[in-house]
Amino acid sequence: MKREKGFTKRNFLKGILAENPLFVSILGTCPALATTKTVEAAIGMGILFTIVLVCSSILVSLLRKIISEEIRTPAYIVIIATFVTIVKMFTNAFLPELYLTLGVFISLIVVNCIVLGRAEAYASKNTVFDSLIDALGMGLGYTLAIITMAVFREILGTGAFSFGKIFTFIPYFKLQIIPKGYEISLFQNPAGAFIVFALILAVIAFIKNRKAELKSNLEKQEKIRKQQEAKMAAESSGGESK
Amino acid sequence: MGKKHYVIVSITLGAIAAISAVLIGVTNLVTKDRIIQNEKNRIAAGIKEIFGNNSLISDEEDLKDNGYAYVNYSYTVKANDEFFGYALRTTGSNMYGKISLLVGFGMTYSFSGIYVIINEQTYASTLEDNYLIPLNEGSKELDDVECGATYGAKLVRDMINEASEVILEIWK
Repeated sequence: MKREKGFTKRNFLKGILAENPLFVSILGTCPALATTKTVEAAIGMGILFTIVLVCSSILVSLLRKIISEEIRTPAYIVIIATFVTIVKMFTNAFLPELYLTLGVFISLIVVNCIVLGRAEAYASKNTVFDSLIDALGMGLGYTLAIITMAVFREILGTGAFSFGKIFTFIPYFKLQIIPKGYEISLFQNPAGAFIVFALILAVIAFIKNRKAELKSNLEKQEKIRKQQEAKMAAESSGGESK
Repeated sequence: MGKKHYVIVSITLGAIAAISAVLIGVTNLVTKDRIIQNEKNRIAAGIKEIFGNNSLISDEEDLKDNGYAYVNYSYTVKANDEFFGYALRTTGSNMYGKISLLVGFGMTYSFSGIYVIINEQTYASTLEDNYLIPLNEGSKELDDVECGATYGAKLVRDMINEASEVILEIWK
């Protein structure tokens, strides 16, 4: 099958921008609200999520011709649950602080609809390479989305930005951005997570609507220009015939 | 669809499950020792936090077969070779997940503090911020479970109450 030029790049980028799983498809919101108290936890969650997504997409794509229609969903769930269990064990062994911080939300990756969704909608119908690129794009898109939320929540909620508590191999540092006493602790609570999420979605919707408006204005102008040109051409051809 | 099709489908699903089991088994072999060591380190850190920096575990007793609902280990704590108290490891779970705590008792059966070993509750941070930390600091009563994670707090209350009963038996 002949590929379109730039397909791989577009396949990768769609997960980050046009089809971002969190901000565009509004999938995987539960862990996004729960694990975005700090940037460090969000990075941890994003990495674990991407590993599970990439591994399960590769395996689903590899087995796509073997797995028959009626056992697709149970087979995918078994594959995803296996990788989640493996990732959970490795995190518990080698990054115990991340394991304790994320708690139940590592196990909950099993039921994250993005992973099962990509397995069903993409990996089961495409080659291993394309599925890998799609999973990497979606994983990175989700990671960047939760980091964006975490930046707002951590800075507004604690007044500072810190790193090194979970990834203990990095020296701990804390940067006070908002003077102490002026932080808004609401942003560290679930309500704050909803507010940040809603505001980001509102900004994205505003940008999209603005783009659509500009596009429609340009199309209208183009239409008018073409009509005028056609009118002028008709007038000039009428003059010539006279 | 014939019998052959169903056999193939069953074999496929069985093979996927078998491969998964092997992968999990291998991962368990690789990570097991490290997970056990991490847990030991965490318990040692908890003992130090409850009883002070000099404290150490001098003896460990497995209480899993004693029929308690939550308490599963007892640790004798010493500091500078002198008996300091007991810490009980208590583990419980409800529909919101698992929680494992170290409950410390000083020389006069007095409650010395709690330390969270594992908190896999969905409302983990709410439970810690609004119940466990205030309880440890003495600004909240054990029975005051209304905290935004009330089911988790009720579970912790029951775990600590059982630990208080077990400690009396140990002391006897």
